[in-house]
Amino acid sequence: MKELNELNFPDDVRYAESHEWARLEGDKLKVGISDYAQDQLGDIVFVELPEVGDTFGKGEEFGTVESVKAVSELYMPVAGEVVAINDTLEDAPEKVNNSPYSDGWMLEIKADDASKIGDLMDNNVYLNSLKG
Amino acid sequence: MVISKKISKFKSDSQPLSTGVRATTDNERQTTDPKKWLSIDFERVDYHEAWVLQEKLIMARRAGILQNDIVLFLEHPPVFTLGRRGGRECMLVSQDFLDKAGIPIIQVERGGNITYHGPGQQVAYPIVDLQAARIKVVDFVSGLEDVMLRTAQNWGIAAERNDANRGIWVGPQKMGSIGIAVRRGISFHGLALNVRTDLRPFSWIQPCGLQDVGMTSMQQESAQTLSMNQVRVVLKIQFEAVFGIKFIQKKLADLGSILESLTLTDSV
Repeated sequence: MKELNELNFPDDVRYAESHEWARLEGDKLKVGISDYAQDQLGDIVFVELPEVGDTFGKGEEFGTVESVKAVSELYMPVAGEVVAINDTLEDAPEKVNNSPYSDGWMLEIKADDASKIGDLMDNNVYLNSLKG
Repeated sequence: MVISKKISKFKSDSQPLSTGVRATTDNERQTTDPKKWLSIDFERVDYHEAWVLQEKLIMARRAGILQNDIVLFLEHPPVFTLGRRGGRECMLVSQDFLDKAGIPIIQVERGGNITYHGPGQQVAYPIVDLQAARIKVVDFVSGLEDVMLRTAQNWGIAAERNDANRGIWVGPQKMGSIGIAVRRGISFHGLALNVRTDLRPFSWIQPCGLQDVGMTSMQQESAQTLSMNQVRVVLKIQFEAVFGIKFIQKKLADLGSILESLTLTDSV
């Protein structure tokens, strides 16, 4: 378990209260879970993701991660349609622990309104919410 | 990473049972009131009914109608449950056999694989807002193991953690299991400790990926006749010690308006 100051919160993604992140890449959004989330979950052994083409509202459950006998639900940070999933996580779920913002990404979505990413927290606000 | 360190830390400590999930010193504990959790006692509750109750409690907890975390203490009639990722392939007997034995198989959303619940097994379902309490999932699972380890120790049973799997073990035999789910930051499902469980149904399943693993019970390990009530009392005391909380005993009826549509029978 790491201390907050050992965790990584890059400024090129925005964070949801439920610890997912979203990053604007072209006209799509990448989605994953934060370094804090992976750290507090422990070793991730399974990631359950939706199908490409599924659509979710903001805050809707899009999948689960299983770690240490605990299944935790994942929630959509921005409403949209899933256009790609990271299927490499099926064989290598540990990528979420090792590189939550890069190789451990989970979804690529076409947001209903990509500007809604602005409703999420920036890294400073998110870090403060974790201290709070 | 984190887990193996955590396990070895617990194992190598001169006092192997940690003082709790909260890093609260004894001094702090004397000067601040411990957080209050509710507890409800049941005798035997159908798996599905207990599941529905947990879902309602999560909704109530999330909506703030229920302002305390809560633990349900109960036993189930015989039932096999499959974890989120299944485990039906680990069933060693036929559906026909189970039908004749009258034991259902239920698919649930908790972590872990197939398991058995039945009379003589003490089950605890903590509905705890982990996010609000800033309890990390890994620490919570460790804490639940701690609660079971301390309870076993009360009867002189030297159970321990095992790197191969979570839960608590006596040698290669598993005595207590854990499988939780987290929804909106709130935990549900929980722990199952074999006190005086009929262990035969466990031989009808194969713990996946784990060879030479058997199941045991506190009664088998302590060679005493154990009282379910006494074990439950100790289990509660250990919950209080490990999580630095104090239980307020409630009856289901006390939660009245929140859960009025429920038909569960409260045993207390």
